[in-house]
Amino acid sequence: MPAPRRLAVLRCLDWSAVVAAKNSTTPCAVIHAQRVISRTPAAMRYGVQVGMRRRHAQALCPDIEIVAHQPSRDRTAFDAVVRVVNELVPLIEVSEPGLIVFAARGPSRYMGGDGLMALKIVEALKTLVADSQLTDLLVGVGVGDSRLAAQIASHASAMASSSANLFVPYVVEPDKTNEWLAPQSVRVLGEFANINRETISLLERLGLNTLHDVCALSESILAGRFGELGVELHRLSRGDEQYPLAVVPHPPEHLCIEKFDQPVSDQQIIINSVQRMAVAFTEYYSVHGSVCVRIVIAFESEAGKRSERLWYRPQGLTTSAIIENAKWQLEAWLASQISGDISGNPENHALENHALENHGLVRVQLIADEVRTDTARQLRLWGGSTQTDETASQAIGRLSELLGSSAVQVAKWQGGRDILDSYELVSATHVRTIGSASSSDQMTTQKWRGALPNPSPSVVYAEPIQVQINDQFGKLLSVNARHELSASPVVVVIGSTHYKVNSWAGPWPVEERWWDLARSRRLVRLQLVCEKITADNVSQILAMLAILEHGEWTVAAIYS
Amino acid sequence: MQLDTKQRLTELSIKELLATQQLDTKPQVVERLAVADDVRELLPDSGLVRGRIVRCSGDAGLSLALSLCSLATQQGSWLGVVGVEHLGLLAAVEHGVALERTVLVHPPKTSREWSITVAAAIEGLDLLIVAVPERLSVNDARRVQTRLQSRRAVMIIVENTVLSQSRSMNGSNEAQQFLADVVLDTKTKSWSGVDRGAGYLQHRDVRIRVSGRRVARERNYLVTRSC
Repeated sequence: MPAPRRLAVLRCLDWSAVVAAKNSTTPCAVIHAQRVISRTPAAMRYGVQVGMRRRHAQALCPDIEIVAHQPSRDRTAFDAVVRVVNELVPLIEVSEPGLIVFAARGPSRYMGGDGLMALKIVEALKTLVADSQLTDLLVGVGVGDSRLAAQIASHASAMASSSANLFVPYVVEPDKTNEWLAPQSVRVLGEFANINRETISLLERLGLNTLHDVCALSESILAGRFGELGVELHRLSRGDEQYPLAVVPHPPEHLCIEKFDQPVSDQQIIINSVQRMAVAFTEYYSVHGSVCVRIVIAFESEAGKRSERLWYRPQGLTTSAIIENAKWQLEAWLASQISGDISGNPENHALENHALENHGLVRVQLIADEVRTDTARQLRLWGGSTQTDETASQAIGRLSELLGSSAVQVAKWQGGRDILDSYELVSATHVRTIGSASSSDQMTTQKWRGALPNPSPSVVYAEPIQVQINDQFGKLLSVNARHELSASPVVVVIGSTHYKVNSWAGPWPVEERWWDLARSRRLVRLQLVCEKITADNVSQILAMLAILEHGEWTVAAIYS
Repeated sequence: MQLDTKQRLTELSIKELLATQQLDTKPQVVERLAVADDVRELLPDSGLVRGRIVRCSGDAGLSLALSLCSLATQQGSWLGVVGVEHLGLLAAVEHGVALERTVLVHPPKTSREWSITVAAAIEGLDLLIVAVPERLSVNDARRVQTRLQSRRAVMIIVENTVLSQSRSMNGSNEAQQFLADVVLDTKTKSWSGVDRGAGYLQHRDVRIRVSGRRVARERNYLVTRSC
């Protein structure tokens, strides 16, 4: 039996909030879909928790700084950390911004033990932290025999460091992982191993509160109750990896190595060739009924410099995931090389282009590190993702390639009083679980108080159109302090066209965020039914939504 | 005598052949996407037949297009909204469109790029709501239509409502690049629910004229729609 591998996990607690916070003293929370997904330790002291609603967080801590979720910002900021760790440990895997995983055995032998290694890495990070004003950052390092154990250990280490104000690494002794995991609550599976919340809650209702309880059942019983998932649960709780690894012969060399005769410095060309390789690569493994979960992407420059990084995705790396990761790695690498060049010889004011020319790539390589049998991606007959979803997501990928990711969008519920606010448009490439019934459809039925009554207008202008609404004497309509109209609206003038007002409803006042001078809004809304007589004596009836704000009338939407 | 039997045999076989052919053609299976009850009677095949083009014009065109799509998206089809500006997403939800299977695409307005985008969308999506740019060439339109027929998708054409420009309001007079199979021309007759400051917009009476090359006889409907 091969010796179990040891993994080390370096965790920067609440990375996205720490990066987003302008300074370390003000509490800050990162919000996604109206819920807190990350918050700084300062906010944590006020009792702000992950998963809380925005309003709840604001109630607990009134001067909290609210920042929208921005994955790219977290990534670019994390590159500095990656660079520091990479100097000590050659091959690392960046699972997500704020989380680094690497094989512990080699580095810890070199640096004299797991604890010493962890201390050394954190020492190196401290100088970086001091430079870049991320003083609020909590770092934890955990070492264990399985990914789950190391993850839990790193979290425990970070929490311990925060309370003791001194870095404490957490090392699970070799071959003790099983005993160490046993008393952990089953909730850690949801937190660190992507097991969904319903399953966790079901386990608890079944009386299986700790991993020991799950482990004590036989694997076949769990498989009988949960199917494939049951086997995974058992593997996780006894300290094995989530998926058994499969042995598949490596793909032929021409599929996973690309050599350029001429050094290439154009990023787009490199990415295109990575894409070509990634398609062949995933195709090869899918033919063998398996999927690659961990991959090494290696770039080699003309000057002989190499960039190697591991990438891991428990659901298996799809073509788009490989390309996305390669892009991240390449951008970070090129940026670091250019900055290194400029700082290395300050007299030589090397322009970016010049530096890029020096670092043309000559070789790109993909190496499969871990492969498992592909079981979880079976398309289902009912529910789950179907063939239609699969082809649709391919088409969406193709469209984003054609037009750029900002031109292909999907809607996400975010809630709001304004018709424009209630849904947010996000780029389709940033949405990971496309087509799956997300939590959004449970919330859509809830309307905000003060929102317009149904039906909603089907044409909504992002930039409202300036109009004039006049009374019978041709005077511009206004609203007094009691939100009463000065007179009945009679005519709407849009550009040079006059519309006769047949009837109207409202005015409905909205006063939003009156406590915040910068963001407060005071406006009045009015539904109008207008009639226009065209040249050939045909009347055209139009219902619109007019808004009066700052003394100006605009048309925000049309009931088309 | 021999010739006679032979002749009879051939006659018989021809008759049989005809009969079987008729049997084949009679239950003629048209693949279609389901539509909600309130709009089913408007369509000639009581559903959106795959590979065809429907045009929704007039001042209630967009909301009619959305309600045509609602049931199909709920049943798992994907909807692409291509080049339609200012779509009210809340209205789409109220019509029953499943937003988790809806993609909004904003292509450039040039003829070639627009048609390439639509062709790419047709590859993977069952349903499209598109707004056709003015300068689309007839050749590109024909290519898109051929692709649509071979990939068995449904395309619904709407107009981008532009206020203050009276020219595009009566856009139906313009030359149309796509020859629609079904044309649903809408015209709002009256709105109800508002009364000089009281109430709110609730229903409207819409006159819908159904025509097009797949429609045997032009028909007019007067329907009350909740939006």
